[in-house]
Amino acid sequence: MDIIQFKDKLFEQGKQMGFLDMEVYYQKNGKFSTKIYKGEVDDYSIANDGGISLRGIYKGQMGYAYAEKIDADSIQLLLDEAIDNANILDSEDQETIFEGSPSYEKLDLYSEKLDLLSSEEKIDLAKQLENECFSLSDKVDSVNYCVFQELNSERMIANTKGLEVSEKGNVAYIFVSVVVKEGEDIKNASKLTLTRDLSSFEPALVAKEVVNEALSQLGADSIESKKYPIILKNKAAASLLQVFSSSFSAENVQKGKSRLQGKLGREIANEIITIVDDPHKEDGFASRSFDSEGVATKRIEVVSKGVLNTFMHNLKTAKKDNVTSTGHGSKGSYKGTIQLSPTNMFIEPGETSYDDLVKGEREAIVVTDLQGLHSGANPINGDFSLAANGYLVRDGKIDRPVNQITVAGNFFTILEQVETVGADLEFTLSNGYIGSPSLKIKSLSIGGK
Amino acid sequence: MLQQSIIEDLIHASLSTGGDFAEIFVEDKFNSNISLVGGKIENSVSGRDYGIGIRIFQGLNSVYAYTNEHDREKLLAIAAQAAKAIKGGPTNITLDFTRKSFQTRHPILKYPRHVPKTEKVEVIKNVYDIAKNYDEQISQVSVSYLDEDQKVLIANSEGKFVEDQRVRSRLGIQAVATKGTEMQTGFYGPGAHKGFEFFDQIDLNHYGSEAARIAVTMLHADECPSGQFPVIIDNEFGGVIFHEACGHGLEAAAVAKKNSVFADRIGEKVAPDIVTYIDDGTLANEWGSANVDDEGEEARKNVLIENGILKGYLIDKLGARRMGTESTGSSRRESYKYAPTSRMTNTFIASGKSTPEEIIANTEYGIYAKYMGGGSVNPATGDYNFAINEGYIVRDGKIAEPVRGATLIGNGPKTLQKVDMVGNNLAHGQGMCGASSGSIPANVGQPTIRVSEITVGGRKEQ
Repeated sequence: MDIIQFKDKLFEQGKQMGFLDMEVYYQKNGKFSTKIYKGEVDDYSIANDGGISLRGIYKGQMGYAYAEKIDADSIQLLLDEAIDNANILDSEDQETIFEGSPSYEKLDLYSEKLDLLSSEEKIDLAKQLENECFSLSDKVDSVNYCVFQELNSERMIANTKGLEVSEKGNVAYIFVSVVVKEGEDIKNASKLTLTRDLSSFEPALVAKEVVNEALSQLGADSIESKKYPIILKNKAAASLLQVFSSSFSAENVQKGKSRLQGKLGREIANEIITIVDDPHKEDGFASRSFDSEGVATKRIEVVSKGVLNTFMHNLKTAKKDNVTSTGHGSKGSYKGTIQLSPTNMFIEPGETSYDDLVKGEREAIVVTDLQGLHSGANPINGDFSLAANGYLVRDGKIDRPVNQITVAGNFFTILEQVETVGADLEFTLSNGYIGSPSLKIKSLSIGGK
Repeated sequence: MLQQSIIEDLIHASLSTGGDFAEIFVEDKFNSNISLVGGKIENSVSGRDYGIGIRIFQGLNSVYAYTNEHDREKLLAIAAQAAKAIKGGPTNITLDFTRKSFQTRHPILKYPRHVPKTEKVEVIKNVYDIAKNYDEQISQVSVSYLDEDQKVLIANSEGKFVEDQRVRSRLGIQAVATKGTEMQTGFYGPGAHKGFEFFDQIDLNHYGSEAARIAVTMLHADECPSGQFPVIIDNEFGGVIFHEACGHGLEAAAVAKKNSVFADRIGEKVAPDIVTYIDDGTLANEWGSANVDDEGEEARKNVLIENGILKGYLIDKLGARRMGTESTGSSRRESYKYAPTSRMTNTFIASGKSTPEEIIANTEYGIYAKYMGGGSVNPATGDYNFAINEGYIVRDGKIAEPVRGATLIGNGPKTLQKVDMVGNNLAHGQGMCGASSGSIPANVGQPTIRVSEITVGGRKEQ
C-alpha cells in the first residue's frame, strides 16, 4: 500500500467511525553516516525510515496516534488509538484542522549535488578532516569524533479540509572533536558544520579552528570566586538563548510558565537587542515554508530594539489571544503533538568585533562554553548556574585559559544589562537553529577557588 | 515478529561480501504517553514503533542499517546495500538457530495495553491533587505518564535466536511554587520494569508531596554560596554523579579506544577502600533491567570497582573484539534506529557502614545535596557538572538553612578519590541515559555519601 492509498482509506474508515475532520502527517527520512577513527571507517550506517500520524476530531477533542508500519493493520490501530486518546482529554483550548494559507514561500532546502555524492567521496572528506587535525600539532592525542552524515527528509501534511503540502530538504552534518594532551592535562574542543554546499567546506580551516581552540585551553585553571565583567562568546550566548527561547512561546506564557507574561509591548531588554526568528533563511537549518499545522511561516521580530513585540504562536494559542498564528506550530516528529518552537532564531549582530570586545577590558572573563544547560538553567524564571570554560582577560589581552568555574546569573537580567553586541553571529543546533553574536555583559558571578 | 526464513535470508545477504558476523534486531513496541497540566489532561498520544536493524562486522569494522520496511524483497535490498560497505567475497556459513527460552526475571502483572486509559487518568489526577494541595504556594503541577511494551527478537550468524519483552511504566511529577515573581520547581520521576501494577505498589502520596515540598522549600531558600566545600550527596538519584563521571568511563566504548582514565587499569586502586561500584541488569523489575541485553546476551551482575580496586568494565560484542575479551551482557540501544553499544543498566555504589546521621554529624561545614538534578560530563576529560535540586548548608554537624541555584563541578575520577564516607542506606533512582546508542532507561543508585571537597557554584553575592 502506498501512502496516498493508505491516507484515503484511513479518512474513509475514520468518517464511518465518527471522526469529524482528520489529518495525516507523514515523514520519510534517509540517512548516511560514517565515523572515521585513526584513518579507518569506524562506523558506517545507512537508514531509510518514516512514520505516519493521524490526528482527528472525535466528539469535540483532537485524538492522536501514530504508526511506523504502513499496512492495513495500522489503519485500524490508528483510528482505535486516536479515539481512546481523544476520549480522555479535557483540554478546553480546542485544536483545529487548518484549511491552508493563501500562499507559501518557495524555499530551496534541497541540494541535488549533495544527494548524488558517493559514499566514497563522503568517507574521503571525513578522513581528510581527521588527518588535518593530527597534522596541526603533536599534542593532538585523538580525534574522538570525526563524523560525516548526510540526512534527507520529506514531510507531508494532508487533511480532510483540502490541505495538502509537502517539502523536502537535505543537509550534510560534519562533526569533529579533538582531544589534546600535554603531560596529564587533557583538553577537548569540537565543531559542528552544517551545509548543503560542500564546496564551501574546507577541512583544513575547520581542523585549524578546532585544534587551536583545544590547545588554547591547555594549562587552564580555576579562578578566584567573585563578580567579573563577562564577554559571553557567540556560541555560549546562543546556547543560553536556546534554553530560554521557550519563554517566547505563547503556550508557556498562557500557562504561567514564562516570566514574560504580561510584558508584551514593554521594554524587556537593552535597546541594542533585537531577536529575530526567520524560517526563510536560506542558510538556516530549521527553515520551513509551512509549520506542523500547515500554516505558512514568516519572519518575525520577537524583540525589537529591546521591546517585546510578539510571542511565537500556533493556531491554538493564537485563538486564545485573539491574534493570528505566527507559524510556529511544531512537532518533534510524527510521534508528537502540536507544540511551539523557534526555527532560525538569533540575536541581530552589532558592529563591534570580538577582538575589540576583548581589547576594551582591563579585567574580564571570556566565557566560550557553557555545560549542563538542561539541568543548571531554569527556563521558567531565567536563573542559571552553569559549569563554564573560557579565558581570563587582563589589560585588553587574553591572559590565560580558565576552567572548573561556574557562571551564575539570570537570562532576563543579561538582556537588560548587555553593554555591547558583537558582530560575530554564530549558530548552534538544538531544538531549532539558534544564533547569537558575542555579548559584553556588565558582570556575572563566577564560582571558582 | 518476522519470519525465521526471512531472517535467515537477511543474514546470508549481509555476509555476501566478506562480513564475519551478522545480526538482525527486530523491534515491535507499543507506547502510550499522557500528560496533564493544571488538572486537565492536555495530551494523550499512543502508537506503535516497528523496525529492523541489520548489523555486519568484518573484524573491527561495523556496518549498521535500519528500516521500517517489512517486505522481504525490500529488506533484502537494504541488507545488500549495507553489505556493499564491506569489500570481500561471500562468507559461507551454516545457520543453525538455537532458540533460547527462559523464565523471565521480571514478571508483569497488568499489561498496560489491557488497562483502560481512564484508569491511567485516575492515577495521574490522583497524584496531581496530592501535589497541588500540598501547599497554597503551589501554583502549577504537571504530570506525565508513560508506559511501553517492547518486544524484541535478536538473531545472529552464530546461531543466536532470542526474544524478550520489556514492559516499563513511569510517572513524572513537576510542581511549581510561586511567591510574587519568584518561581521554583520540584520534580520526582519514579519508574520500573513493571506494568500498571507499579502504580498500585508505590506510595503516590510520597512522590506527589515530595515534588511539591522541594518546590516550596526552594522558594524560601537563599542563594547557594560558591567555593570548594565538603559535599554530602543523599542516596537514590544522588548516584547520577558517579553514573556520569565514572560509569561512562567504564564502558567499552570509551575503554577500548583508551579514551578513558580507567583504560588498562584492571587490578589498580582507582578509589578509596570504602567504594564498591556495581552494574546489575538482573535486579527484579528495576527500571534499567531486562532478561537479555540488545545483542541477546543474558543480563548479569558486573562488579566494576570492589573496595577501591578496578575489577571490570561494561562490554558489548564489538568492544569485546577490540579488547580481546568477552561481552558482559551490557549492550543496549534505544531502538532499532541505533546500533547497540556498551551501556549501564542499574548502576550503584554499594552500601557502606556509616549511618546518614553520622555523616551529617561529622561535617562541620559543607553542602548537603538532598536531591540532585541532571548534569553532563565530557567523556574525553571526565569533567562533569550537576545541578542540585534541593540543597542545604551543613553547619556544626547539623542540616541548617536550604540553599538554591547550586551546581557541582569537578572531574569524575578525582571526585571518586575524595569519597570519604559511605552510608548504609542504598537506594535506586530512575533516569534516562543518553549516549551514542540513544536514550535508554537506567537506574542510578547509592547510599548517602560524602565527598571531602567539590567545587560548588552558586549565585550568592561574595
